Amino acid sequence: MTPKERERLIRRIWLLITYAVLITFAIVYLMPFIRSLVASFMTWAQASKYPPEWIPNPFTLENYQKLFRLELFPRWIRNTALYAGLIVAGNVMFTSMAGYAFARLKFPGRDVIFSALLSLLMIPMFVTLVPNYIIMYKLGLVDNIYGLALLGLVNVSSIFLMRQYFTSLSNEIFEAARLDGCGPIKAFFYIALPLAKPALGAVAVYQFLGSWNAFIGPLIFLRSPENFTLPVGLSFAFQRSMWTEYTPIIAGSLVASAPTILLFLVLNKYLIRGIVITGGKG
Amino acid sequence: MARVLLKDVTKRFGNVVAVNRLNLEVKDGEFMVLLGPSGCGKSTTLRMIAGLETPTEGEIWIGDQLVNEIDPTKRNVAMVFQSYALYPHMTVFGNIEFPLRMAGVPKGERIKRVKEVAEFLGIAELLNRKPSELSGGQQQRVALARALVREPEVFLLDEPLSNLDAKIRTQMRFELKKLLSYDLGITTIYVTHDQVEAMTMADRIAVMDRGVLQQVGTPEEIFYRPANTFVATFVGSPPMNLIEGDIVESDERVIFEGGEFSIELPKAIELRGRFILGFRPQHVEVSTEPREGFVPGKLLGVEKLGVENYGHVAYGDSEIILRLPEGMETARGEVYWRPRADRMYLFDPRSGKLVYG
Repeated sequence: MTPKERERLIRRIWLLITYAVLITFAIVYLMPFIRSLVASFMTWAQASKYPPEWIPNPFTLENYQKLFRLELFPRWIRNTALYAGLIVAGNVMFTSMAGYAFARLKFPGRDVIFSALLSLLMIPMFVTLVPNYIIMYKLGLVDNIYGLALLGLVNVSSIFLMRQYFTSLSNEIFEAARLDGCGPIKAFFYIALPLAKPALGAVAVYQFLGSWNAFIGPLIFLRSPENFTLPVGLSFAFQRSMWTEYTPIIAGSLVASAPTILLFLVLNKYLIRGIVITGGKG
Repeated sequence: MARVLLKDVTKRFGNVVAVNRLNLEVKDGEFMVLLGPSGCGKSTTLRMIAGLETPTEGEIWIGDQLVNEIDPTKRNVAMVFQSYALYPHMTVFGNIEFPLRMAGVPKGERIKRVKEVAEFLGIAELLNRKPSELSGGQQQRVALARALVREPEVFLLDEPLSNLDAKIRTQMRFELKKLLSYDLGITTIYVTHDQVEAMTMADRIAVMDRGVLQQVGTPEEIFYRPANTFVATFVGSPPMNLIEGDIVESDERVIFEGGEFSIELPKAIELRGRFILGFRPQHVEVSTEPREGFVPGKLLGVEKLGVENYGHVAYGDSEIILRLPEGMETARGEVYWRPRADRMYLFDPRSGKLVYG
């Protein structure tokens, strides 16, 4: 065997190992999804059998039919879309401004305020849940989708991401803009914002995924079934007093995840770039 | 058009004095080069004139106006940055148009002026491209166009050629000078650390070091009458030779005792005591044969630059650089040299100031 052939062989073996490892992990991660997909076409009796069965027998659309028979199902989808839309819009608008201010403007206490904001990242959501609930209650915003959205309009990690992005832009561009007649506000709209498209895309996608799938918040702040979002509505609809009917929930989750999967397929370029942005410059 | 006047301008960043009591007048239509090593305060000075930094003390005047408190936008100065700082998301047209748009110039007028300046700089066919699709030289022209379109009174350039490769740099050097001085006659302040750029482009050069202005003068004055040892060594390539020694009188002759060798000085020199003798490598007579009054030396090596060859000769710890006559035989490694009497300089060893020359 010539050294060249040897090298090629070694490279091929490595490629094989790499693929084997990647495929193994992909199967591990995909398993629950595949299981959900299969189970959504099974009867509950079959789906709950042990050892698990992988072929739906009998094949049934009953779960999906149950789902679409729910009177409130379209309403929940609308609620979820409204909630996610508000969160995405709020985050794109406010965190880009906040990030710009922290990155590009000079004002007293800037760094202290920013550190204080960052420390909020360390506080688990459950700590602020009760105080938030009390505030919302006093404002009369409990059981109100707008009230719930209000809580998530600004997200600290989005501010952080935007700030990092704006600090990574060249100083000279902003100085040039200043000499060309841009005050800080014009510079934001004409220079910073158009240049921040990748970061804004990342913020939008993250926030959409987070709010579309949110469960705890909607569960606690929403009370009447007609105000529920999809994740809360589904678990509510099929919870019986003693047991839960899981197969329609699974079917519902699949329907609910369709937009996020679609979004990922369309925007995965931005998502990955967003990770690069957050991970890149510290 | 306007003159620029700096009066006792000081800039401190914390404890660091970036610019120290700078007084400088740039005349109307003059091409002034701020020259110095990095960290000498030249860029800070430029940024203060632009309004990107505020002076800690002192006054900056543009025309008849004290501009210390005036916003950069309203100073009517334009600046070209080292990185060009083009807006990457706009086309070339958008970039050039931008300052006009911000100034509220009506659209028809904007299009007309952008086209004019683009024609003038020869980038009219690039107007629809994005900056990332342009070469360095083209980006440079766009940056110039963006600065010129506003018809500024003062033009500021911060090392505008340092990102270009050597060939384009030489070409742009001349083009810039022609454009700003001969075609437009605009007051220009140009920052560089490259003494060749300074010498070739400037009407006058201001040499700075560690925040302090060392000398202001025409390229000839800076080259032939350097105010101190810093200017003498910073300007000119290779730098001026400096040797510390004593001036003594013997047999009615004035002799400079340099430790390893002695050189006869013109009789007119009345200074006695310790001084630094300076002479440029180009102002030396060199011979391969021993001659009266010539200093012998051993060549360490020769830098060949084509027409000009520079020989390095060592004396103890110090090294002297001599320009060798074209075609001189250097194989033996022995040279005899003498600085030209009319091109010798003497500096005070403590202050470094020029005392003779």
